[in-house]
Amino acid sequence: MIEDLAMHLADLVQNSLRAGARHIVVRLALQEGLLQIVVSDDGAGIPQHDLAQVMDPFFTTKERARIGLGLPLLAQTAEETGGRCSVTPRHGGGTEVRAQFRWDHPDRPPLGDVVETLVPLLATSPGVEFTVELSDDRVTWLLSTREIRERLGDVPLHHPEVLCFLENTLREGMDAAGLKEAR
Amino acid sequence: MKLEELRKIRERAEAELRLRGGTSRVKIVVGMGTSGIAAGARQTLRALLDEVARRGLKDVIVTQTGEKGLAAQEPIVEIHEPTRATIYGEVDEAAVRRIVAEHVVNGRPVTERVVEVREVKG
Repeated sequence: MIEDLAMHLADLVQNSLRAGARHIVVRLALQEGLLQIVVSDDGAGIPQHDLAQVMDPFFTTKERARIGLGLPLLAQTAEETGGRCSVTPRHGGGTEVRAQFRWDHPDRPPLGDVVETLVPLLATSPGVEFTVELSDDRVTWLLSTREIRERLGDVPLHHPEVLCFLENTLREGMDAAGLKEAR
Repeated sequence: MKLEELRKIRERAEAELRLRGGTSRVKIVVGMGTSGIAAGARQTLRALLDEVARRGLKDVIVTQTGEKGLAAQEPIVEIHEPTRATIYGEVDEAAVRRIVAEHVVNGRPVTERVVEVREVKG
């Protein structure tokens, strides 16, 4: 059902948005053969009594949904590649989800199109700031929607020219951080 | 990141905004929950942004929301107009192009994809 890692990333960002986050940090790092995906937010957080259950596929807080497959599926995929997945409350509120995948593992799903996944989410979430951090063993590359918005004034992020700018910029970052599929 | 590019974009966009002067006529909302994403909502959202930009529709806003509770019919797209809200189901890229052309531009809903229509009382 969820076929690539970009899809999981979209799911995590959507969780943060639903938790009322105002600032979401998306971190992708390919270091020492491990791909790490981190989504960290300042949203409502997960209550202590629910935290133990977030990895249960039949647990959900959504009123109209019967099951919440996002996180358990992500954890399963991570573990199948020799990685792991954790959900941690942040000091001062919010949640951090961290998933690791062994990059060279044959069961690692393809990365998918991270740029085409993230840009529409960044551009259509008014009032929410995103920081995207891409890194490998050598470089760290940053994109901040706050910085971009400050320069744009009243021009929205979903303006066609801005969308184009965001896509090109993020693609440069992915290349710079070596987040590219070799196969 | 070439931030100076943004200054030029801003100048052009603000000039365009002054010409138009109006507010948005249509708001389009895409359901981007887990099941929506699994059913292809990313492509739907992208196609919508693309189509709206390509046609230069300045009075249309595209946005997204979480789960819509209509998992069997994802991807879900809602078209909000001043007098009605139209909910579309199973909106793939081809359907996006039809909905934008026939509904958003010409005001005629694409009936075979409509899940629900809600009248909005002004």
